[in-house]
Order: sequence, then C-alpha cells, then structure tokens
Amino acid sequence: MLLIPSLKKKTKHQDILSLPDPPLFYLPLGSYAGDMQVQVAEGQQVQMYQQLAASTGPMSAKVHAPVSGTIVGITEISGDRFLTLKNDFRYTAQQLSPPDVDGMGSAEFLAILAEAAVEGSGGARFPTHLKYNIAPGTLDTLIVNGAECEPYLSADYLLMKTACDNLMRVLQLVQRVLASRKIVFAIERQHRELEKLLLQAAKAFSLTVSVTLLPNAYPQGGELQVIKSVTGLEIAKGTIPAKHGLLVSNVGTLWAMHDAFFDGKPYTERIVTLSGNRSKTLGNYLVKIGTPVGHLLVETGNAWDSDRHSVIIGGPMMGRAAQSPLTPIHKGVGGVLLLEHTNPKAMNCIACGYCVDVCPQRLMPLEFVRHNQEGDLAQLKSYHLDDCIACGACAYACPSDVPLMYHIQSGKAKLQQERRNGQS
Amino acid sequence: MKLNPHITQGSNTVQLLMLDVLIALLPVLFVAWLAYGQLAIVIFAVASATAILTELLFSGFILHRWRSIFDGSALVTALLLSCTLSPLTPWYVVAFGAFSAIVFGKIVWGGLGKNRFNPALVGREFMSVFFSSIMLSPHIWTTGGLVHTSTDVLFPQAAERFSESYMQGLVYKTTGALGEYSLLILWLGGLYLLLRKRISWHIPLALLTVFIGLFWLVPDGDDLSFSMGGLLLGTLFMATDMPSSPTNAQGKLYYGAMIGLLAFIFILGNIRFEYMSYSILLLNGFSDRISATFRPRVWGHTIDWKQQVESIVMLTLSILAVGLAILSLYYYQLTDYLVYLFILYIIFKFNFSFHKKVNNPV
Ligand code: SF4
Ligand code: SF4
Repeated sequence: MLLIPSLKKKTKHQDILSLPDPPLFYLPLGSYAGDMQVQVAEGQQVQMYQQLAASTGPMSAKVHAPVSGTIVGITEISGDRFLTLKNDFRYTAQQLSPPDVDGMGSAEFLAILAEAAVEGSGGARFPTHLKYNIAPGTLDTLIVNGAECEPYLSADYLLMKTACDNLMRVLQLVQRVLASRKIVFAIERQHRELEKLLLQAAKAFSLTVSVTLLPNAYPQGGELQVIKSVTGLEIAKGTIPAKHGLLVSNVGTLWAMHDAFFDGKPYTERIVTLSGNRSKTLGNYLVKIGTPVGHLLVETGNAWDSDRHSVIIGGPMMGRAAQSPLTPIHKGVGGVLLLEHTNPKAMNCIACGYCVDVCPQRLMPLEFVRHNQEGDLAQLKSYHLDDCIACGACAYACPSDVPLMYHIQSGKAKLQQERRNGQS
Repeated sequence: MKLNPHITQGSNTVQLLMLDVLIALLPVLFVAWLAYGQLAIVIFAVASATAILTELLFSGFILHRWRSIFDGSALVTALLLSCTLSPLTPWYVVAFGAFSAIVFGKIVWGGLGKNRFNPALVGREFMSVFFSSIMLSPHIWTTGGLVHTSTDVLFPQAAERFSESYMQGLVYKTTGALGEYSLLILWLGGLYLLLRKRISWHIPLALLTVFIGLFWLVPDGDDLSFSMGGLLLGTLFMATDMPSSPTNAQGKLYYGAMIGLLAFIFILGNIRFEYMSYSILLLNGFSDRISATFRPRVWGHTIDWKQQVESIVMLTLSILAVGLAILSLYYYQLTDYLVYLFILYIIFKFNFSFHKKVNNPV
C-alpha cells in the first residue's frame, strides 16, 4: 500500500469558484477512439452549446461550443488537433430543451448521453453511453466512484459535498432505467464526513444507497480496485465489469449526466482543482472545456514558466506534463498542478522489491525494465505487462529512480506492435 | 517528454537506505568497542578506509561511475564484513577482505544492485580461502584476555546475582565475532530496519522459525553448538540484503526458510564457523530463480497449482543438491576451489557481458 503525502486538505474545504472565460477556446478533436469530423466552417458564427464536431462509428463522441463566438480554424498543439473558437463574450445560447425524464426508456436514455457527449470524467474518457448500454435488470451493483485517489485533487470531493442532490436525482433516474439492485458510493476514508451527507440526501430522494470507505492509499480509485473494495470481486484487467453485473461511474460523470438529463445541457464544463507545491493559489474552479491551461494560470495569479515548474494536466501520478500553455482542459481532467521539477537520475536497481510491494496489479515492475532492455517480448508477456494499469506507483516507490514508466510504455508499445504484425 | 509520476518520494533514496542500515549498525559497533576498545576500532577503520578507496579507484577511475561512489554502500559492506571478524584479525587481512568484498562482491558485477551475492560474505570467504591459516586458527578466536570492558563492569549486580545468567548473555557477552556480542542490540537494529521498511519480516521470520523448529524436532538438538549472535547477525543484516535476496514476499518466505534449513543441515554436517555464510551465499545464487518461481498472482488471474508445485519441488531439489555438494566438498576440504571457480566465472562474465552493461540501471 502506497501512502503519498498530499495537499488535498488545502483545497477540499474551498468553494468552487468561477473564472473569467478565455478569449480563445481549443476544443479537443481527439476522442477515446476514432477521429472527429468538424461540422462548422472557418469564420462561422456559432452559438453556445451548438454541436461543432462529431465522430462516426460506435465509439462516437461530439464536440459542443462552450460559449458563443466565431470559428477560427484548427490548431495543432503538441501533436494534437484542436478546433479553435473565438469567444465573443455574448453568450448567445441555443435554446436548451430538457428531455422528458418521466417514463424514459433505456434507448432514449442512451441517446441523450450520446447527444450530450458525456465521457468518463475520471481520465480515460470512455463514452458514457457505451458504458451504460446494458440490458435493464442485469445490473447488480452500481458503484459511484468518489475515490479520487490521486493526491492533490479535490474536484470529486467538492461535487459530492455541494452537488449531492444533483447526484441523487440522476441516480434515481439511472435506478429507474437500469433497475440496479444496489447503489454504493466508494469514498476515501479521509472524506468520511461525506458519508452522513450522502445518506441523508439519498433518503430525501427515497434511494437506498450505501457507502464504502476505502483506505487513503494510492491507487484506490482504479476501476478494478474499487470493484474489489466494494464487492470483494477481483476481476482481471480487460474484463468488462457489466459481465459481472457491475458498473462503475465517476461522480464527475454523474454530474455531467445530471446536466444532460435535467437541463438538456451538453458536457461543456467541469470542476478542476488547481494545486501543487509551486502554485501560488490553491482552489477548485468551474472551468469550461477547451480553456487553455495558460489562461487558467494567469487568472489565478500564476504564470507559465517552464523553468520554474512543470504544469501537469491531471493528477501528479497519472497526469501528463503540458508542453504548451495552449494545452486545453478536456473532459477527463480533474486537476491542473504546478509542481517543482523532479530531475531523477537513474541508479542501478537494487532489487529492493518496493515496486513489487506497491503494485496494485501485483506485477513485478523491475522485470519489465530488465526484459524490455533485452527486447524479450516472451518474458514481458509472461510477467503480464499487459495487466499494468500505468498507475506510476512503482516509479514513485523506487529509491533508485529506475525509469520504470519508460520501460513499461516502451514494452507495451512493442507488444502492441507485435500483435499488429501478427494480425496483418 | 516527461513521464508520470510527476512527484517523487524524496524520503526514499539509495543513500537514505544505506544511512538506515548504518544507523542500525552503529549500536552494534558501539558494543564491539565496549568489549575490545581500540582493537575493534582499528578493524572498522581499516575495513572502511579500504572499501571506500577501492570503490573510488575502481568505480570512479576504471568504470567512470562517479555518481555511485557516494551511495554509502561501500561503508555498509565494510562494517558488515567487520562484524563477522574476530577482534584479533590482522589489519592487512581485514584490508584484503574489504578490498575483495568491493571488487569481487560488487564492482565486477556492475555495481551496487547488480551483485548476485552478498558482498560482505564474499569478502569473508575470500579471507578464509586466501588466509585460511589465520582465519581458521583457534588463536584469533581466543580473545578472553583482551576484553576491554568486562561484563562485571557493565552489570555489577547482574554478575553477582546471576553470573553467566541468561539475561546477561542476551545483553552483552563477548564471544565470537565483533558483531555478535549483544543479541538485544542486534534485535533493536533489526526492529529499526523493519520499522523503516528497509527489511521485510518475511526472511527473518521464516529463517528463524525453520532453524529453531528443527532444533526442537531433532533429538539431541541441544547438544549442537552454534552462536545465537552469529545467527541473528546473519539473519537480520545479511540474509535480508536487498540485491541478493528475492524481490517478492512469497519468494522471501521461501528463501528465508531454505537458509534456515541449510544452515541447520550444515551444522549437522559439522561445518563449524561458516554455516551461515555458506547457506546465505548458496541461496543468493538461487534468489533470481526464487523470485521468478514465486512471482505473485496477478490481479484477477488464477494460478496453475500443479505447475507451481512442480517448479517449487524442482527448485527445492536443486538447492538441496547444491547444499549436499558443498557439504561433501567441505568434508574433503575442497571448498576453497569454489572460490577459485567463482573468480574464474566472474572474470569471464565481466569480459563478455558485464562491462557493456555497466551503465544500464538493471
Ligand atoms: S505502473 Fe503498472 S507496474 Fe507500476 S505499479 Fe502501476 S500497475 Fe504496477
Ligand atoms: S523499486 Fe526500483 S530499485 Fe527497487 S526493485 Fe523496483 S526497480 Fe529495483
């Protein structure tokens, strides 16, 4: 079990603040899978909430305008494509038409999720309408994942604290549509005070929910780990939880679902925690999707200064270092962190086994380094590299700063390449 | 491109790890100083100085690995080695031992972490082989007359009330090697390392359980002689050495249990001083295979028990076979040749593969 000292306490008691919107939005044109087709032309005037792009195919995703303005074109930022929207600060919005939730069937339920482009807000951005596509009556337990195990982040905590009723309202709807037998909130023990709040709110909506307290260790919030803590079931990576009658949904996702069902609003904004040991301000902000991280920094009294700090989009353990101040907030981002540079110099692996002890998937990370260096794919497979969830716990625990994550990624890429070669 | 994670555990570096081992060892050294005063200090000093100079010379000038020199491991190796020596060991023999420990125990393998055998014990075996007449002479082990601070001085009442008492033997009793005088202090050192997570409980628990269990089971077990201090020093500080022991919990349990078993077999086979060194070094040689055999069950996967049991049986048989081979070599006084073989092997391997990999972290 890995315990990581964190600044969570400093942000969890702060209210959610709003920030002035940026003059330019960069809307991600990448999705969980597949590319997106832009449906608007350069120079076109668009309204807030208007659909701007969509992808074809089963993994479909959509892009909506977070504000009104003019389409500028497509910008490439560190290798990814973004649709650029110039804010006119008029907020002329499309008329939102909340669907009729009473007597809503499962097909309509999924259609609305797809229409509002709700994606998993925990990081992986899996389209939510695909996740909820399960036959009504087959769901045993709906697990609400409130375990924000990444240190520093408190966005989900605040949602549970301030938007309790919204969560319950949407859960009530899910309950009716999917007829799940049980609803369980999984929260970290450090947020124990939420338990009473959640149970009370549930009562007001005449929902039966229970709360499971998880240890404060990292990584507790991974889907597989949450399922184990709540149900005792240990399912292997790659297995679909629905096959076991389980569904895990992040609180942030449920919040976005609420807006889709009760306001008819597409997923265009989310809560982001700003934190880190180099950040001048610590807090939680309501941020529109597509807001460049540089804007967020300036508005909070910080600056983009790559000499002084790294800017991490996401959590400190699994987030990605932003390469450009234009890099925008996407639907799976729970935090923006300013962290002092770490400059680890690898020493020899001393076979201490710390990485083995902390691996939530019970792998032997040091072997990945050894066998990836030798390009021994058979060994990488026999040590189950494919079961690694890239949580970074091993690299964090390593006293020698062995480049574990590098070899894990490079090994995974090699295995994938081999599979592709095998198929063709 | 910077990869995740973006924070580090500042409190966990190789240097700090070595510092913890030093902290656990200091009281042991202090007790040795109490017992033999300057004699002990000279040994510690000669060993440390030689080890650090050797590290500087070979790691630095020959392999150009400057960064690894100050990780503290040379000091730890030197002090651990000293703990296994008699206070009367001549200084040049000590220097030779420290030199061999660093060169043949560590550097030729590619530096700290790549060594498959415990460097301190390697150094000790080199001393026994190349200075066998000195190391094995009863003369250097009769030290009674030189005791600097006797038990009576330390525990006046204890000496009166229960001379040669059990309690006294636990806290301070000057017999054997420099690190063995106080069981209590050794325990405390081990406890410190355990609390700081520098060792895990698996190896000591399995080792001591098997070893002591066998003594109970075997008739006349009480008549067998071994030094409890030596056993503890070996268990807590040598068998738990990270690079030379397995990396997973189940592997550590098995490894500890096998060391306990072999140490017992060696004692039965009349190996007088070296039973701990031999059994630890032997299992060091198997620790990679043990780690691989006892790899943890991956999340959500199942284990093929039949295959698992089969490989454990094969592993155990090979370990026992090597153990018996060592016992026969010992009987015919041929164990020295193992060390010569080791030198040949390591030189061969260094030339053909190690020096190419010196700057790779694994
Ligand atoms: S990154 Fe992979 S190997 Fe490392 S601890 Fe996480 S799951 Fe285990
Ligand atoms: S934590 Fe680092 S040094 Fe320890 S075994 Fe794993 S890779 Fe090696």
